[in-house]
Amino acid sequence: MAGFSELIKNFDKTRGYVRDFFIYGCKVRSDFDRRSVRTYGDEKRRVESWMGDYMRYDDSVRGRSVSIAADSGHIPENPLYNAYCSKSFTDNDIRLHFFITDILCDGKSRTIKQVTDLLSEGYGHIFDEQTVRNKLREYAEEGIVSAEKRGKTMYYTLTPDRADEYICEYSGLADALRFFSETQDLGVIGNSILRTLGMKNDLFFIKHNYMIHTLEDILIPEILEAMDERQFVTLRTFSEESKRAGELPGSENRVVPLRILVSVQTGRRYLAAYIPGVKRFSAFRLDYIRSVEKSGECGSYDALKAKFVKALGRCFGVSFGMRRETGSVSPMKITVFADETKEPYIIERLEREKRCCTLEKSGEHLYTLTADVFDPNELMHWVKTFIGRIVSIEGGTDSIRRRFYRDIERMNKMYSGDENGHIQ
Amino acid sequence: MDIFSEIYGTYFRIAAILLERETTDEKTVRETVQREGFRDSVLFLPQKLIPGSEDWGLFTRTSGGALRRRTKYPPVKLLTKLQKMWLKAKLADPRIRLFMDDDTLSRLDGRLAGVKPLYTSGQFGTTDRFSDSDDYLSEDYIRHFRAALDGVKHRKIMEIEFVSGHGSTIRGRFVLLKMEYSPKNDKFRVYCYLLRNDRIRSSSIINIGRITRVEDTGRVFRTKTSMDEYFSSRKCSTPAVVRVTPERNGVERFMLEFASYEKHTVCDLEKGEYKVELWYDESDETELLIQLLSFGPVIEIIGPERLRRQAEERVKRQAELLKERLEDDEDE
Repeated sequence: MAGFSELIKNFDKTRGYVRDFFIYGCKVRSDFDRRSVRTYGDEKRRVESWMGDYMRYDDSVRGRSVSIAADSGHIPENPLYNAYCSKSFTDNDIRLHFFITDILCDGKSRTIKQVTDLLSEGYGHIFDEQTVRNKLREYAEEGIVSAEKRGKTMYYTLTPDRADEYICEYSGLADALRFFSETQDLGVIGNSILRTLGMKNDLFFIKHNYMIHTLEDILIPEILEAMDERQFVTLRTFSEESKRAGELPGSENRVVPLRILVSVQTGRRYLAAYIPGVKRFSAFRLDYIRSVEKSGECGSYDALKAKFVKALGRCFGVSFGMRRETGSVSPMKITVFADETKEPYIIERLEREKRCCTLEKSGEHLYTLTADVFDPNELMHWVKTFIGRIVSIEGGTDSIRRRFYRDIERMNKMYSGDENGHIQ
Repeated sequence: MDIFSEIYGTYFRIAAILLERETTDEKTVRETVQREGFRDSVLFLPQKLIPGSEDWGLFTRTSGGALRRRTKYPPVKLLTKLQKMWLKAKLADPRIRLFMDDDTLSRLDGRLAGVKPLYTSGQFGTTDRFSDSDDYLSEDYIRHFRAALDGVKHRKIMEIEFVSGHGSTIRGRFVLLKMEYSPKNDKFRVYCYLLRNDRIRSSSIINIGRITRVEDTGRVFRTKTSMDEYFSSRKCSTPAVVRVTPERNGVERFMLEFASYEKHTVCDLEKGEYKVELWYDESDETELLIQLLSFGPVIEIIGPERLRRQAEERVKRQAELLKERLEDDEDE
C-alpha cells in the first residue's frame, strides 16, 4: 500500500485509463503497454475505488480483464464525476481552507496580516504571511473571497453567495440542479454544487447518455475562455495509434476555436476550429485532445466565425470535406420507399432526422432526400439505418455509391449465410 | 478557476460534514468516511482527521476522548465563481423554465447580475439531434411537466390522458416513478406504472409532450417499488449479441457509440474481433436494430434469433431493391 494514494495530481493520465476500461470493456493488463505495472495497478485501483459496484471482472486465457459495466441510462449520478473529486492537496491547503473561511465567515473584511494573526491565535498552527497571501489570492481567483484595495492595503471578504441560501431563496433551483447536473455542457459543475449541499439527483435519468464525455470537460473551460477572448488555442492531440505506441507528447496544432460540436448519437464531441496553416475548418475530437492552451489574439475572429456559421450549413456532421473536393461534389440524392398510409412514421423519421438535407415527395410512396454537403460520406452511416427501403442513391461520388452497393452485397451474403467463416 | 480542484474534492467534503458539529467521535469519523468516501478512503482518511501523528489539525481531543473542532462555526457552503458562472449559463437554457417561474428566474438573474455566463448557446452545438424537440416554452407543457415532477417527488397517483405513439388517446391512473431526458430526442418522458384498482398492472413510459391532461387524485401510492424492478420489467430477456470487426475502425466506433449500453465484451485476439453482448429496453428494439444496421458489414448481429431475422429481412429486401445496381457493380 506504501506509495498509493486515492488522490491524483494530474487528471490527464487517469483520463486514458478510465476511457479504456469504460469503452472497450475487455482489456487486460498487457493491453496497457504504455505504462509500468505499478502505474497500471495504481490506476486500476483508483478507478475501482471511484466506480464501486460498476466494475466488472472477467477471467480469460489472456488474463483478468477489467471493465466498467454500466447502463448509463439507468444511473442517477455519473460515477465518473468521482474522478473530479480526487485532486491531491497539501496539509496546509485543507487547514487554510477551513480556518480562513471560519475567520471570514462573519462577513467582515480583513487584511492578510489580520488573517495570519488570527490563524496563529485561534487555530493551533503558525502560518507565514506569504503562505496566507498565496491562498487568499488563489481564493480570490476562485471567487471564494473578494479582494478590495483600500489605500495600499488589500482587504479580503468572504463571498456572500451561499449554496444553501440560494436553494431556500429560489424555489425550483434544487430540482433544476438535479437535472442539469446530469446533462452535458459541464454537468459536473452542477454536481459539485449538489455535493456541497449533501444532495443527490434522485429524480432524473438520462437516456442516450454518454457519461464518458465528462472526462473531456476538463478541457472545456479553457476553450470557452479562448472563444470569448477571440484567441487562438494550441491543442496537443494524440491519436489512437500514438496512444497505443506510447507516444505521449502527441502532435500540436494552433487553431482558432469556434464551437464545441456534440454528436448525441455517436458519443463523440469535437472542437470545430479554423486551421490557419492549411486555411480550412476542421473538427478535432475532444477525447483525442490532451491539452489546450490559449495562444494569442486572433484579429480576424469575427470574420472567421461568420464564415464558419455559413459553412456549417453544408455539414451533415462535422466534416468540412477535403479542400480539393469542396464545391466539386454533386449533391447526393437518396430515395426511400415509405407507404404514406401504413408507414407515416418513416416519413416523420426522415423529416426529424434529415438535418441540412431537403426532403421531397418524388413519387408514389417515394421520398427523396437531397444532401448538398461538403462530405457526402458522412451521410452514409445514417442512410444505412433505412436499409430495406432505399430505392436509389445518386450523386455524391462514385466511391461512396460503390461502397454502399458492396456493403449491401456483403451484408446480404453475411445474413443469408453465404459468407465464409461467419457464425450462423 | 479549475473544475479539477481540491475544493470540490471528496476529502474536503467529508471534512466539512464532520466540522458541522462542535464535537464528534472516532466512530462517527470512520462511519462518515465509509459512507461518503471512495471505496478505499477508510484506509487513508481517518488518520488525517483524528488527532495523532499524521492528522491535519482540524480537531483536538477533549479530556473525555471526544473530538472537538478547531473552527468556531460550521463550514459555510460557498458558491465559487465557476459554479455561479455555470448557474448563470443555465438561466439562458429554455429548460430552466420547467423548474422556475418567471419571477424566481428574474430574481436569480438579478442576483447573478455581475456574473459572466460560463458559456453562451452559440459556443455549443449538436450535430444530430432530432428536430422535433419538446416545446419547453409552451404553457401546457410546463404545467404537465411540473405536475409530473411533483407526482414523482411525492409518489402521487395521477390521472393522465395522453396520445400514444400510434395516435390513440389513452387514459388511466398512474404512479409516476422517475423522469427521463434524452439529449438525442430532446424530450422528457416519465417512467410509470399503470394502476388498476390501486394495483400495478403494467410498466409504462409517457412522453410529457404527448400528455393532454393530468390531474392529481389526491392519493399517494404506498406500495414499495424499486427502479431495478421497473427496469427489469422492460429489459430484454436475452441480450443482443454482436460480432464487431476492426474494419474501418469499427471496434472503436462501435464501442464509443454503444458506450451508453450495459455490455459484456469478449475479444478474439486471433481475428482482432470482439463479441459484444448488449442489454437493451425491449421497447427500443427497432432503434437498436437500425443503429446496428448503420454499421453495415463491419458488424454482424449474431443473436438473438428474432433480432438477427429482422436484420436479415431488411437486408434481403434492400438487396432486392438494388438488384440491378448490385449486378452492374459485380460486372464492373
